[in-house]
Amino acid sequence: MEKQLLRLTVNGQEYELYINPKTLLVEAIRDHIGLTGTKRGCDTVSCGACTVMIDGASVKSCSVLAMQAEGTKITTVEGLEKNGKLAPIQKAFIDHGAFQCGFCTSGMIMTAQAFLDENKNPTDWEIREGIEGNICRCTGYNSIVRAIDATAKGKYEEDRS
Amino acid sequence: MINDFNYLRPGTLKEAFAMYAEHDDCKVICGGQSLLIVMRQGMISPEYLLDIKSIKELDYIKFDKKEGLRIGATTIHRAIEKSDVIKKNYPVLTAMENKLASVQVRNWGTIGGNLAHADPAGDPAPVLITLKANIKVGGAAGERTMPLEDFSVDYFETALNKGELVLEVQVPVSEPKTGAAYQKFNLLESDMGIVAAAASVTLNGNGKCKDARIVLGNAGSTPRRVKRAEELLIGKTLKESLFAEAGKIASEDCEPVADIHASEEHRRHILGVLTKRMLQKAFEQAKA
Amino acid sequence: MNKYTVINPHSEFKVINTHVHNVDGVAKVTGRATYTFDVKLPNMLYGKILRSPHPHAKILKIDYSRALELPGVVGVVTGKEDTLGIKQGIWRRYKDLCDEQILPVDKVRYIGEPVAAVAAITEEIAEKALDYIDVDYEVLPAVFEPMDAIKKDAPEIHEGFERNINITRHIEWGDVEAAFEEADYIREDWFKCGGQAHMCMETRVAVSSYTDGKLTIYHSNQSPYYLQALMAGVLDMREGDVRVISTYTGGGFGGKFELDGAIFCSAVLSRKLHKPVKIVYTREEDFIASKRRTPMLYYVRTGVKKDGTFCAREAKVFTNGGAYTGMGATAIYLTGFFHSFPYRWKGYRYDGYRVYTNTLPSTSMRGFGAPQAMFTSEQQIEWIAADLGLDPIEMRRKNSHYEGYEVPGQATIASCGIDQCYDEIQKWIKDKGKLPANRAIGISACGFMTGGIFNWFDTPYSFSSAVVTINYDGTVELRVGCQELGQGSNTTMAIIAAETLGVKIEDIKVYSGDTDQCPADLGAWGSRQTLMTGNAVKMACEDAKKQLLEFAYAEMGINIVYDLDIKDRWAHIVARPERGMKYEDLVKKALRAKDGQRIMGRGYYTPHRKGMISPAYSYMLQGVEVEIDEETGKIKLIDSLTAHDCGQPINHLGLIGQLEGAFSMAAGYGYLEYMPFEDGKLMNPNLVDYKMIRATEMPPTAVAEIDTYEPEGPYGAKEAGEGLTNPTAAAIGNAIFHRFGIQMKENPIKPEMILKALKEKKEKEQEKKKGKK
Repeated sequence: MEKQLLRLTVNGQEYELYINPKTLLVEAIRDHIGLTGTKRGCDTVSCGACTVMIDGASVKSCSVLAMQAEGTKITTVEGLEKNGKLAPIQKAFIDHGAFQCGFCTSGMIMTAQAFLDENKNPTDWEIREGIEGNICRCTGYNSIVRAIDATAKGKYEEDRS
Repeated sequence: MINDFNYLRPGTLKEAFAMYAEHDDCKVICGGQSLLIVMRQGMISPEYLLDIKSIKELDYIKFDKKEGLRIGATTIHRAIEKSDVIKKNYPVLTAMENKLASVQVRNWGTIGGNLAHADPAGDPAPVLITLKANIKVGGAAGERTMPLEDFSVDYFETALNKGELVLEVQVPVSEPKTGAAYQKFNLLESDMGIVAAAASVTLNGNGKCKDARIVLGNAGSTPRRVKRAEELLIGKTLKESLFAEAGKIASEDCEPVADIHASEEHRRHILGVLTKRMLQKAFEQAKA
Repeated sequence: MNKYTVINPHSEFKVINTHVHNVDGVAKVTGRATYTFDVKLPNMLYGKILRSPHPHAKILKIDYSRALELPGVVGVVTGKEDTLGIKQGIWRRYKDLCDEQILPVDKVRYIGEPVAAVAAITEEIAEKALDYIDVDYEVLPAVFEPMDAIKKDAPEIHEGFERNINITRHIEWGDVEAAFEEADYIREDWFKCGGQAHMCMETRVAVSSYTDGKLTIYHSNQSPYYLQALMAGVLDMREGDVRVISTYTGGGFGGKFELDGAIFCSAVLSRKLHKPVKIVYTREEDFIASKRRTPMLYYVRTGVKKDGTFCAREAKVFTNGGAYTGMGATAIYLTGFFHSFPYRWKGYRYDGYRVYTNTLPSTSMRGFGAPQAMFTSEQQIEWIAADLGLDPIEMRRKNSHYEGYEVPGQATIASCGIDQCYDEIQKWIKDKGKLPANRAIGISACGFMTGGIFNWFDTPYSFSSAVVTINYDGTVELRVGCQELGQGSNTTMAIIAAETLGVKIEDIKVYSGDTDQCPADLGAWGSRQTLMTGNAVKMACEDAKKQLLEFAYAEMGINIVYDLDIKDRWAHIVARPERGMKYEDLVKKALRAKDGQRIMGRGYYTPHRKGMISPAYSYMLQGVEVEIDEETGKIKLIDSLTAHDCGQPINHLGLIGQLEGAFSMAAGYGYLEYMPFEDGKLMNPNLVDYKMIRATEMPPTAVAEIDTYEPEGPYGAKEAGEGLTNPTAAAIGNAIFHRFGIQMKENPIKPEMILKALKEKKEKEQEKKKGKK
């Protein structure tokens, strides 16, 4: 087995990594690039704590080889702020208390963001289905559902330029 | 911990065939939503991993009013779920995909990867088999097509020969007056089925049952047709009591394995209930 | 989707119970919050733990020479060679309950127990190295169930514990036999309550760094002070030479305030190898080698009068304690105590037997014995009401605690809003009208503690302490030892500080989770922090404020009979609020007057004259609407109402979050979260097979908050968020009872159990019919 060169684009920055091909995307992001906002909570693609966006779609980065993400645009939780201003979904999470311990929050927010990008007018049930791949042991989810709902309704939009 | 492997990423199907033929201890990854889990558990540790997910030639959903539906192997679940043409012509597929794991898994996992993994609890196979789907496979030596129901041969084993990849799923156009339904029994909405049942019903002009298919998920080593129950229905005027009887046959003609989630007896019982309910649902669609 | 109603609101507060955002919010939604899982130190090694494959075995020999030959492996530690072999336990006051060596010297007692630990330059090499450690075991006969373990000829798990009985507890008041004599109706039932995994999103993890005789540990936990003291104990160090840092903790739920393998092994490795060592549990390790909620066998005998007046109750409990004591000594007491709640019994007797087995140890978990107590009690009460043809809510109401009631010899209830909780639940049920045929409502009542009083840890420190420092610019540094796990304690303490000092929430910076920087505090367990640390914070802030106001009297030159106060950064005469000065100016001047010293306030809390159990009790009722598929037995939660008395709510958003979160965990305990073992092996140590509520399983959660005033709590506050883990399993059981007339005596209630009970019921009915013919 030989290490391979990999160019990964994360949050608009291109990183050059020299990695073992078995490196998971979450490992590349956390251990090689050093963006520790993305978490890991299981080894079975069950919990969603490692969710990032690949070309705008939510994906569990523990179920993707880093090599597979070459040529894509990856967004992690660190990529949501613009000019020091929080994204609407981040503000909504704070305003609704949609996190407690915070360990699932990065993945939950990335799932929510990708969901909102596709669903402008979601129902309560659609939101729940949208986040069913993410475990939150603390909140019981309803505050998260409220935060996503309020964001969809445009409550937290602001000029971030 | 995943054991070391060499990573191969062909750009074209031709390259993929060549690479696959060249390397002996080689496993195909096409999404890897299940494969990486078993690799992490050390259950599979190939020397080479052939990643075909990015092969664009196999990423398509095509529909023809005569030929029916063709889905390329590297098509992600999410694309199937969101396809308008599938929703219009095969709503049962859309509904099945919508309940397949979580959106993140559907965003990365592919239909070809799912079928080749041959997990008897997988959602797509039972539904596709009730829709009489075929599967096209091929390699450097050529292509062949077979009924999907013959594709899984055992737990996590398929009829793929050495050097062959899954290329395409083909679903014929449904006959008029056909209904199809699928449901899994699980404790969480996003779970795989503890057991599952798919059923399709086609009615004659006179309202009698022209054709029926019943396929059980996680009721044995492969998706499992309940032919004895299908035969019971064909040619008859359908009614609730027949569905109940078909359900009873389904609960007999299966080999579910007990685990911590449900006993064998409970699984048989639920398979019967689901079969009855899916037949009823398919029947109502066929009538409509 | 969410309704939050406040009954009896108080509105004189500026910060308390307002919409305050979590003070750690920005860090948590941006991914900047650094958990122990994220800590990376220079020159750091990675550790892995070799675990026992046997439920019960003697360790004869450990040979790790082959592992050391593996390139990248730096060192291996074993119990025999590298530890003092001290048997430790969190019930420090009682030596016989200190029964666990984290790296056992000569015997393992459950599958997954640490046997050796290895450190290497990468996690992967460390994991590989485990295969090269050769252990000779002498496998011993093992026993897994309490009723087997108490048999005469059962294998001995710990020396000197006859019949493997670890602890017995007895609670009794009144003349129990006489009280039963008064009863017109007596009912007895056996129940089986399951275990439950804490399943914190952040698995057990630690980074230890030993240099120059001092040990610094980053560790995900609920009580840095406990961990500091326990680590000092097992390593024979001075407490002050051990620093535990736990800035952000990814969940605790009762499972993270004892020593775990990650903290112990990383520290032992670091001390031997002189480098920082990080150990992260995999999810599987976290399931098989942490601890769990205690499985219990419950016998309940209850006597009531025809009119529903409760007379007497007798309960016997045998718990599956697993291999070690942990916090089980508390759980075995609390389950017996709360089994009496929230009712008045003329005679009450409880006998608890905590039994060692060769399984994963049991310990505290959110609710602390009370979820089992309520699952059994609240269902039996529902059945008794049905047996007697009485309204189950009114029967509960007439027997409930009230303000001023004394639980004989145990506790005095200083605040109690349960009567209004019954009103709210009744209203909710009435408003629902007739339900579809496949649905039913179940309710359950509950009461819970607000912090424990008994000093089993034998701490010489106050139970809680706080130090507040006011800087020249008016910013406030608040140092507390209470631990933020997500329950919002940093925010709650900031709210109490801001309210007390009369400043804004953004003026407060909270420092917690670091034993070097923060005063000792017993930490986050038993619903203690809001009351205990909250009182310490209030006292510290009152101390600082007094110093400011003393100066304000002099500065403003006012008559000493006037009262001064600060609100919204305005120091003023209470009777004439327009006369005053800016808080910022006051601080600057006061600081100069103190020769440049910052204003500092100190506060502490240790409970006194509050009985043996808790300074205050919360009360609540949980209602659930449940849909059950008669053919498959599948349960779906449709709707819920929590009627809840936590005294004066402090942290509004935090409170809602705690209640909703507790509901989801409690519902999981009711019908999803089973932990099956086979020959001592946990069969579902992963998140595919261990089922928990997800967003799609969670029903709407309405809350009716009944505000009472708890005199012992800061601003009248008491427990919220742990107690609500207790009633829900019974509420689900009661819904099933009302839907089908079947009695679910085991939890979690699986579909198969419902179908089996239905089948038995039908068979019985048929037999009856036959008999009549």
